Amino acid sequence: MSGAFRLPSGGRIDRSRPVRFTFDGRDCRGFAGDTLASALLAEGRHLIGRSFKYHRPRGFLSAGSDEPNALVGVGRDEAHYTPNLRATQVELYDGLVAESQNRWPSLDLDVGGINNLLAPLLPAGFYYKTFMWPKKAWTSFYEPKIRAAAGLGRSPGAADADRYTQHYAHCEVLVVGGGPAGLAAALAASDSGQRVVLCDEQAEFGGSLLSERQAMIEGLPAAEWAGQAAAELAARANVTLLTRTTAFGYFPHNMIGLCERVTDHLGVADPRLPRERLWQLRAREVVICAGAHERPIVFPDNDRPGILLAEAGRTYVNRYAVQPGTRAVVFTATDSAYRAALDLRAAGIKVAAIADLRPEANGPWPTMARKAGIDVRTGTSVTGTSGRLRIRQAQLAPIRADGSVGTSEPVACDLLLMSGGFTPSVHLFSQSRGKLAWNANLGAYLPDVSVEAERSAGACRGVYGLEAVLADGFAQGAAAARAAGGTTSPVRGLAVKATDCGHDASSARRPTAAIACSPRPSSTGRTTSPPRTSSLPPARASSRSSTSSATRRPAWPPTRARPRT
Amino acid sequence: MLIIACPYCGPRPELEFRYGGEAHVARPVDPSTLSDEDWGAFLYQRANPRGLHAERWRHVHGCGRFFNALRDTTTDFFAATYETGTPRPAGTPADGETSR
Repeated sequence: MSGAFRLPSGGRIDRSRPVRFTFDGRDCRGFAGDTLASALLAEGRHLIGRSFKYHRPRGFLSAGSDEPNALVGVGRDEAHYTPNLRATQVELYDGLVAESQNRWPSLDLDVGGINNLLAPLLPAGFYYKTFMWPKKAWTSFYEPKIRAAAGLGRSPGAADADRYTQHYAHCEVLVVGGGPAGLAAALAASDSGQRVVLCDEQAEFGGSLLSERQAMIEGLPAAEWAGQAAAELAARANVTLLTRTTAFGYFPHNMIGLCERVTDHLGVADPRLPRERLWQLRAREVVICAGAHERPIVFPDNDRPGILLAEAGRTYVNRYAVQPGTRAVVFTATDSAYRAALDLRAAGIKVAAIADLRPEANGPWPTMARKAGIDVRTGTSVTGTSGRLRIRQAQLAPIRADGSVGTSEPVACDLLLMSGGFTPSVHLFSQSRGKLAWNANLGAYLPDVSVEAERSAGACRGVYGLEAVLADGFAQGAAAARAAGGTTSPVRGLAVKATDCGHDASSARRPTAAIACSPRPSSTGRTTSPPRTSSLPPARASSRSSTSSATRRPAWPPTRARPRT
Repeated sequence: MLIIACPYCGPRPELEFRYGGEAHVARPVDPSTLSDEDWGAFLYQRANPRGLHAERWRHVHGCGRFFNALRDTTTDFFAATYETGTPRPAGTPADGETSR
């Protein structure tokens, strides 16, 4: 069934270059441009791993570097074996050999799964309380056995055959992240002729733009615009573009550690090339465009294979042309998941229902979803799921006015998308010793007081909506170039045609809190005690005022000692 | 890694420098007239402020010369560097005050 869930057209894969790989010894096919995750989903495989302790079946949750479940071991031989790689980050190449982890004898039939059934008998500290006698057996017998039963990947059996190098570099402006904000920031910053480095962890610049179906920028489809912007940057002599490069560390005085994966995506690499290159980059100004992560929603059995984040579902459909399922339920607390539902529907996936935790949803996307004939149920929660190795049905229950959960109704599905809003990715900002401030309106921590000469732009400082993100990225890029000594003030109208989801204000605030504290309802649909929705803070009119402080700078010293090289 | 601006060579990475203790500590003109306490204080007692601190650095793997620097001990940012023998730059906060 090679590629049975591949859409006939679309996506950013290269259909002229088929690729063969093996997963757990089974031959599989994909296309160049696939990740291991998207190729396996195209084959209809959702079960990808087992949980750490209870060996619960786990599937893909996301489509990017925030993947918690899909950990695989990759390598053609022991000397090139790497455990615990995220399948969503492994680029496909001809001859790739991947294996699942933490299962025996096979992924589908895992003996360790017995732990899940025994879970009620295993209280915390069970091992230390139980396996006490004879005393010597703990080190010689019990602990090795328990350790073998738990854990994730295995160590490679041979010494690493690859070479690694390092590289020192200087630039005026470093832009971290090549999504819409990062591309706009790099375009603005490089206008002045200063040295600009733009790095992104993926193989292709564009970030979330690559998953857009309808949005247009400067009259082009978003993904196409991203390609064109990257080409424009590549043509500028003062710009260095680094793909497959993760900014992993922010060290004092704007020294950034970058890890560039040079040959991991190549089946047969030039032996002169190193596998990875460590960049120690000294930047005069840094623009962090790290984006935001989608939040999962907490409900019973939300770890079943077939339950994905809404934006991940969108990415698989639009970017990789893969159907992650045939009949979907969308569980949301934001408008953005409606956009995902409509994208799924456009790809031929039936959307059985949209369960919205909020009492009402009247934004442009919910309106479009209703118009498209999707069963939109507001004030509805998912109270449980069933299915052994893949979700088979979801229990949908109405939330009554008093906050109690009503009788649940089963809805058959093989895919459940969830969206609990977005959390700005502030990791690099925090590493730079910057202080965060809580924004009650967005329900998120945002960058507040900077220490180093850096600034955040776009979703990682709580600016959502494509047009606003592009404008913010451009403005911050230009400001960084000026702060680094540039004199030009670039102007560019990045005209956008897209419908915003309104991630702020009315979105992900209360409902996630409500579900987080809701008691576990029984599968028979018995009414349980009410989760409180009324005790949460009221919405505020605007979120923008509080984000303006994100660029606040210490007043003194006016200039800091910075490299001039 | 810190960047330190040597007043003679320009900004260089921290690796090229060696710390030289508190700056502007004048040796008494006639030590024999000092009491034991004063002499001990001159030898051993140093400020340890939280905030700006005037200190000596030596560009040991460069020009080899000593110079003075104003460093914020809480943030490690240098407010100024200046040649040995010159007074502290005007307009900078006093020792122990934070730069922010």
